[in-house]
Amino acid sequence: MPATRTPALELAAFAVRDVVAGTETALNDGVLTVDAVGLEASAADLPGVLGMKVSLVRPGESARVINVLDAVEPVIKPDAPGTTFPGALGSLAAAGTGRTHRLEGAAVLATADFHGTYDVTTLDVYPDGDSFVDAAGPGAPFTHWSATHNVVLSFRCDPAVSPAEADASIRRSTLRVARELAATTMGARPRHVEPLDLPAVSGDLPRVCVILQVASEGPLVDTFLYGRPVRDLVPTLLDPREILDGALTAGQYDWAGVRDPTYFFQRSSLLCELLHAHGDTLRFCGTILALAYWPSAFDKERSALLAARLAHQIDADAAVLTTFQSGNSHTDTMLTCRACERLGIRTVLLLAETNGGLTDHVPEADCVVSVGNEEELVPEWRPERVVGGERTWSGRPAAEAGPVPAVTYLGSLCQLGDMKLRAVSW
Amino acid sequence: MVIKVAHYINQFFAGLGGEDAAGAPPLRLEGAVGPGKGLGFEVAVTLACGDDYFGEHEEDALAQLLRWLDEEKVDVLICGPSFGSGRYGYACGSLAREAARRGVPAVCGMHPESPGVLAAEGAAYVVPTDAKVTGMRAALPQMAALARRLAAGETIGPPAEEGYMPRGLRRNEIADLTGAQRAIELLLAKLAGDVRTEVTASFDDVPPPPPIADMADATVALVTESGLVPQGNPDRLESNRAHAWLSYSLEGLAGFEAADWETVHGGYGTSVANADPNRLVPLDAVRHLVAEGRVGSLHETLYTTTGNSTPVATAAKFGQEIAQRLRDAGVQAVILTGT
Amino acid sequence: MFITALPTIATMVGTNRTLRGVAVTSPVGEPSLGAEDELALRRGIVEQAVARLSTEVNPRTVWEART
Repeated sequence: MPATRTPALELAAFAVRDVVAGTETALNDGVLTVDAVGLEASAADLPGVLGMKVSLVRPGESARVINVLDAVEPVIKPDAPGTTFPGALGSLAAAGTGRTHRLEGAAVLATADFHGTYDVTTLDVYPDGDSFVDAAGPGAPFTHWSATHNVVLSFRCDPAVSPAEADASIRRSTLRVARELAATTMGARPRHVEPLDLPAVSGDLPRVCVILQVASEGPLVDTFLYGRPVRDLVPTLLDPREILDGALTAGQYDWAGVRDPTYFFQRSSLLCELLHAHGDTLRFCGTILALAYWPSAFDKERSALLAARLAHQIDADAAVLTTFQSGNSHTDTMLTCRACERLGIRTVLLLAETNGGLTDHVPEADCVVSVGNEEELVPEWRPERVVGGERTWSGRPAAEAGPVPAVTYLGSLCQLGDMKLRAVSW
Repeated sequence: MVIKVAHYINQFFAGLGGEDAAGAPPLRLEGAVGPGKGLGFEVAVTLACGDDYFGEHEEDALAQLLRWLDEEKVDVLICGPSFGSGRYGYACGSLAREAARRGVPAVCGMHPESPGVLAAEGAAYVVPTDAKVTGMRAALPQMAALARRLAAGETIGPPAEEGYMPRGLRRNEIADLTGAQRAIELLLAKLAGDVRTEVTASFDDVPPPPPIADMADATVALVTESGLVPQGNPDRLESNRAHAWLSYSLEGLAGFEAADWETVHGGYGTSVANADPNRLVPLDAVRHLVAEGRVGSLHETLYTTTGNSTPVATAAKFGQEIAQRLRDAGVQAVILTGT
Repeated sequence: MFITALPTIATMVGTNRTLRGVAVTSPVGEPSLGAEDELALRRGIVEQAVARLSTEVNPRTVWEART
């Protein structure tokens, strides 16, 4: 099987324990110095963007970042830097093999006030809801990036162009900064190198695959595979290491808590755990990308059938089904669950809940992980500093947003399963 | 700490009588009455109401009871225990819910399957009890203990620890493992035969009863939520938010004649059904099958209500009551039609 | 047996035996047919209901009425 013949992906980690502003971008002894002026200048000629401001937000600071679009881990392919984020930023090359340097403990956050610049309701499908990262306070446990040293890129969009055009620039620019920050590691010695391998394994261990749900509903609500939207995707088999190595990037700005930020593709707890367990408690037999938010019942059933058939073809005994966003897509998850179970493929699902419980259900869904209740309110917090804008979508000062639903925090209920949040019965 | 307590009971526990007093309107009594004396603290006021009265005049009954409650300014309201009773439980759950939403914490005690649990909608705390009144001695101190803590403004822990029924809330907590780690763990357990889940659909799981051995021996009943009633709606069945279910004799009827029956359901276009009510409830077809010996017999009573915006708790209560009637009458199977 | 044109709601609340009815406005009727044919249709639906009541069933099963 091809994946087993692909040379290992070697993740070389370089620790970041502080981030500071300076005159050059460099990494010394764990301190990432960022040439903010230089970065801002490099964004000067971006089509659709009037300007970009760099801010630094550290763990524990009394700071709230709003209008957060995406989080990206700084990475670079040291042996071929021009192929980092192939298709989305770099030139096309197979991701998921060879060495990748990553800045551990750091993140690039992109912010932009689409809602304030454009009438987003003119889009066919438009993003909704505030998107916060709180570096401290009661919201901090609800977002991963309260614990990372963040380089925040706040983009000012040009109202004269389409939101799609501005967004294309924002995404490229964000990925470029992520690569540039990681470039500080070239020639340096990593703290550790983790090889991720998928050797052939014989014997009786159960064959487990992942059916990773993605969506592509148009500009601002999109996911990219090697740089192109996954629109109309037929279930597609990938090497999980491709996903860990920049093949999949995010451009989806609906409900912050249930997005899959690029960072969670890069660091996926699910894919990493399965890779570690490969040969030990299971055989990780493949990762299937499957589209959700099909508009018609027929298309939903069809996609579910195709995903299950593909899982069957790679001889999966079991599948982990992830979900993306909520509502409509939960039906896609349930139909895929049913299609798999009917082929004898046992499933576990990852789903977010609301105050009303599960959005949809089929009897075959007897094994479901709850990643939390979207609607439960997180207590109010008044930060000293707000980055990325001034007001919430409803017009309140962002520092006085009051209690907000858990889904307001970026990635809080990500149904790829990277967070430890869970809902329990009371 | 002295707490001010109100206690709600029905006509029976208030000493007014049994079924004969079930139509008693709301009543306010000083101090503790009946089981209230066993709560272990001073009850400032006892409120009572006949179970039928509450069911048939819910809005008025609630308004009066809540008015009295408001005047008393109590720290906590205790309702019941109502054990397995459907109507009493429903009244307790409804009153407790409304009180809680108005800022008066409320505790009920009832059997887990009582429709009062649904009626409480998670706003009030429900202590699970036996179905029978013999559970009184166990129930009272449990309800009193919880009531005392609510009155004191204490934070109440999770249901399993504190001995009340889950209120239907799903609250966030931080687990030890990521969702992904838990997913892999659960999946491997499932493959090994141990099926566990962190969340289930919040719907009823009713194990299917065994199939009928031979339908040629069985008595079948007809039940409907389509709002089918005799022409003129003599008992004033509501077109939505039904307060009651009704029953009508089918004796001597080979089918439903359009002149004699109509539907009052407000949730769908009724002209098709009114032209031929058998389209709602297949009486004519069932008569044929009985005549041919395919079905043993038809239960000669139709049970009908309007399932339009009727709250789930109410519908659950109706279902339980109708089912009880059918069981008592020896019916084995039901054809239920819905619109 | 629950006969209704909205079977997903039926299964959602735990109904184990559901037969999909003809229409919301007439679960066991079809006005476009003549009286004789309509009665035959209704008989057919009730016969199926009767048959399914005497067979084992998995939880929350929905059958299409064969019309």
